[in-house]
Amino acid sequence: MYRLPSGEEIFVIDAHIALWDASKENQRNVHGEQFINCFYDYHTSLSPKEYWWPKDDFLKYSKERLVKDVFIKGHADMAFFQPVFLNEFYKNGFGNLEANAQLAKEYPNRFICNGTFDPRHGSRGLEVLEAMKEKYDLQGVKLYTADWYGDSKGYKLSDPWAVRYLEKCEELGIKNIHIHKGPTITPLNRDAFDVADVDDVATTFQGLNFIVEHLGLPRLEDFCWIATQEKNVYGGLSVVMPFIHARPRYFAEIMGELLFWLDEDRILFGSDYAIWEPGWLIEKFAEFELPEDIAKETGAVFDDKVKKKILAENAARLYGIDIKSQKEKIKNDKIDRQLNMSKV
Amino acid sequence: MQKEQEVQGKLQKVHDPELDQPLPELGFIDRTIIDENDVEIVFRLPTYWCSPNFAYIMAEDIRLYVSELDWVESIKVRLIDHSASEEINEGVTRGRKFSNSFNGQSDGELEGLRRKFQIKAFYARQDRLVRHLLNNDLLDEKQVIALTVDQLKCLNLSWEGASLREKYLVKKQELMHPEANVYAITDHEGKKISIEELPGYMFGIKSTRLSMEFNGHYCRGLLEARYHLSGKN
Repeated sequence: MYRLPSGEEIFVIDAHIALWDASKENQRNVHGEQFINCFYDYHTSLSPKEYWWPKDDFLKYSKERLVKDVFIKGHADMAFFQPVFLNEFYKNGFGNLEANAQLAKEYPNRFICNGTFDPRHGSRGLEVLEAMKEKYDLQGVKLYTADWYGDSKGYKLSDPWAVRYLEKCEELGIKNIHIHKGPTITPLNRDAFDVADVDDVATTFQGLNFIVEHLGLPRLEDFCWIATQEKNVYGGLSVVMPFIHARPRYFAEIMGELLFWLDEDRILFGSDYAIWEPGWLIEKFAEFELPEDIAKETGAVFDDKVKKKILAENAARLYGIDIKSQKEKIKNDKIDRQLNMSKV
Repeated sequence: MQKEQEVQGKLQKVHDPELDQPLPELGFIDRTIIDENDVEIVFRLPTYWCSPNFAYIMAEDIRLYVSELDWVESIKVRLIDHSASEEINEGVTRGRKFSNSFNGQSDGELEGLRRKFQIKAFYARQDRLVRHLLNNDLLDEKQVIALTVDQLKCLNLSWEGASLREKYLVKKQELMHPEANVYAITDHEGKKISIEELPGYMFGIKSTRLSMEFNGHYCRGLLEARYHLSGKN
């Protein structure tokens, strides 16, 4: 729970976190090393200096640290895992569904564990997806369309096999499709940031929700255009959030654009932990006000009602979470007791 | 010294297509090595993963502009610390097509991509110019849409305004057939904007500008972090 400057206590969902292992032992090749180096540059270039992690901690961190950073220091009440494997770079994968699930078991009602798929795995992958749904009761998947697989350096959601996987999601009731559209790895001559493939599938699959993580940056304008057309397209704020510290004016400009082109019901907060810690992001977000000129030009309203939607209600709606009963469920659980102890 | 300055002058013309800013200003030029009439340009990018397609365009443009200097006999372009350094350096130095340098991994040439980003840069520059004209009460909305290119050239502008005008007109000329280039504020094909369309149109081009600028801040921050340059943070 986080107390807004107005005094109101609000429920918070961090819709984009990860538990990764990029340790030297797990790196498969130079790409694995360069991938985490790049993450670390994101981390230091946009976090306030007092929140910089030592590089070694950043390579691999414990689940205890995650719980502390996200829930105890981080103000979140729930968090969603958005895993990515990168098997071409890491021996046991960058993320790991089993490790996520174990943590969720240890802390009931605190996590949503999403799965993932890669359409280039063909029919075998469809079976894996089914088994994954069965085992982890998936409600969503995180897709990384720029992931490497064999000779392929990425895919599109509109590729025939990707469409078959989305049909499978619809059939299995996996409703939330999070797509990483943003800074990416080695796209070739087609514009791999292009969000047009989201447009295609959002039209075809009206029963699915498409959450474009990182707002399709650096193609914000294309994302806004698509989201205006397709009502089942959402924007995830991870990667955009830290600008609230580094470039607050730009953060305000982007919020103004989002509220103008989309609406307040289709924007989701995410920290992208461990690249950035949710604690300072939420504190700054709760205090943030739109400068008058931006509010005037876009007609955007950024009040507590909107902040509550972005920080929890929108994500809760997509995942069928009733915030009121969720509050009851987590009352006096392990994390809540720790929080109460630290207040004494 | 003279040669160094001439090379630097040419590098100022090379823009990152996604950011629409000159490479030296972005800090992307690592160093230039001039040995008699042989020039080597070493450049770097904010991440190991930056798109090879855009890197290729930049490398090609470095080669193109530096080769305009008549004393230059050979040019070597070298991208360092990148996942595709080898393919790009080899390809551009030999003057190969992009698709031949990335055999089997690309689906065409770069011309379409170049054009797409020229159009984005055109709109971003137009947004800055039009805002400057309107916000400083130099023209009203009706006058803006009726303005011809010749009239725009004659406007008495501040140093800032004149620089925005020059940048905009360079891009406009790159994109448009001279016959379509009559009115100053048009879409990328030279079509006039009506007064009814203008508000929606302005919102559209603003998001293009913001997206490019946002990306620019991102890339500068990453470059600073990667090479431990003194940054804002």
